[in-house]
Amino acid sequence: MFLLPGFSGVMIFYLLPFFEVVRRSFLKSGNGAFVGMDNYRAVFGNGAFALAVRNTFLYMAAGVPLLMGISLFLSLLLRNLLQRRKLVSALLLPMAVPAAVMVLTLQILIDRQGVINGVLTHVSGKITALPAFTAIDYLNTGWALAVVVCSFLWKNTGYMVILWLAGLAALPKEVEEAAQVDGANRWQSWHYIIRPGLSGSFFTIGMLSVLQIFKSYREVWMVAGSYPQEHIYFLQHLLQNWYLKLEFDRMAALTVIMSLVLLAVCLLLQKRLE
Amino acid sequence: MRSRATAPAWAVQAYGKWRKRRRAWLATGICVAVAALVCAPLLMIPGGSLMDSAEMRQILSPILGEEKGFAAWHLIPVYPTIGHFYRLLIASPAFYQLFWNTVGMTAAILLGQLIVGLPSAWAFAAFRFRGRDFLFGIYVVLMLLPFQVMLLPQYIVLQKLHLYNHPAAVILPAVFSTFPVFIMYRGFTQIDAAILEAARLDGAGELQIFSYIGLPLGKMGVQAAMVLSFLEYWNLVEQPMAFLEEQAAWPLSLYLPQITVSQAGFAFAVAVMALIPALFVFALGQDALEEGIAYIGVKM
Repeated sequence: MFLLPGFSGVMIFYLLPFFEVVRRSFLKSGNGAFVGMDNYRAVFGNGAFALAVRNTFLYMAAGVPLLMGISLFLSLLLRNLLQRRKLVSALLLPMAVPAAVMVLTLQILIDRQGVINGVLTHVSGKITALPAFTAIDYLNTGWALAVVVCSFLWKNTGYMVILWLAGLAALPKEVEEAAQVDGANRWQSWHYIIRPGLSGSFFTIGMLSVLQIFKSYREVWMVAGSYPQEHIYFLQHLLQNWYLKLEFDRMAALTVIMSLVLLAVCLLLQKRLE
Repeated sequence: MRSRATAPAWAVQAYGKWRKRRRAWLATGICVAVAALVCAPLLMIPGGSLMDSAEMRQILSPILGEEKGFAAWHLIPVYPTIGHFYRLLIASPAFYQLFWNTVGMTAAILLGQLIVGLPSAWAFAAFRFRGRDFLFGIYVVLMLLPFQVMLLPQYIVLQKLHLYNHPAAVILPAVFSTFPVFIMYRGFTQIDAAILEAARLDGAGELQIFSYIGLPLGKMGVQAAMVLSFLEYWNLVEQPMAFLEEQAAWPLSLYLPQITVSQAGFAFAVAVMALIPALFVFALGQDALEEGIAYIGVKM
């Protein structure tokens, strides 16, 4: 049987230990006594958990619509262009750049005394119509979230553009051409033909963007290292921190909670993928 | 007498063409601007790696906390030097260790994924068996979960197997990752089922069908899986951070941020060395990469 070696590995490294974690989420970590829902209660009562949930939602609320909007806009522009291939690969390039390589570059750019603030100060000094610019401390204020959202966009736009382009390519060309012959303008053909045709892609790409938010540990790490500032402290960091502090009982409960939420997202998505 | 209000036909045509072209130029312009913005930070890296330490120190001194004002940057260094590369490649052998750690880890993972993943993907694509859809569902969910959710489960199993703090702690779970299986599966499903049917009728064995039909026709998916995996595992951060305690076993991607801004030139030289293989694979495997990403989103 072709599947056996692969599946036994999946069992050993993914499924069985996951069920073990589900079991442990009802136990106390030291002595293994059964504590019922206590670990779950501890998670929900935890201040860091509340912070992480709030931040993750804010991140999602900003990141997902921006990512979808920008990538859709770009792919609508790109789809009929001759130089499309080169441009798409330029957008994809961040996938090939190790996060570690960006750490230093970002430090130089977004430090309070970094290059970006320098340029902005210079520009606002030259143009007197603009209000005076005071240097922003990007990493130690609420701006940190904006920085993370930007690096999320930087990393994922190319990926989503490809998905949109694939969705656009699947639309029958004749309908749009016929509409154009009949005198539909661009807005009309977008509103009546392209947008309804893409409804499946909207859903798939939306779900994938949400999952991408939960996967974006490296983007934050790239910006702020292992100990991010409180505005960019997400659920991923909470799990990572409890892991380092060996707080396995709470961590087990949080793992179960998060996988239930993500499972729901995945199941919704899966109906589409199959 | 001709009316002056109506332009000649050729002028109307030319105007229409010009408008169309202007539109294309505008679209190209926007896309080029965005693409340039995306790639711009990378332009700092080559210059930085060749920049003399004193020059670097001078332009970055505000960040280093020694001065007021703002840091500047020179895209092309004023005093270029290959000193950092000399130090990195010749004077400090520690770099080789880290570099080969990364190469070894990535190679082992990719090879393992091929050995394990190819047959699994083929099984899902070529056979209908009981529980197939359910199992495949599990594979898809596992591929979409973030690493942090699997952190504790994997830690438990690695402890049990006494693999914690051993390179295998990073390699083995990655080998059984379900993502490459999914991508290769998608590649195999592009093959027309009638071909497989015909081969079976002609008496080809399952292994023959796999190696003479499946592999050659589904190779785009295999390439895509390998390119995506390479880019992912060349850039490992979370797994070695969680499961490898000794720095000597770390990959380059985890070591690099340890170099502080005060040694920026050296760090940029390391960055160049980490970037070259990734860009190389990116350039070679571009078609496969785009194909692979498209597999993720398109309905069957």
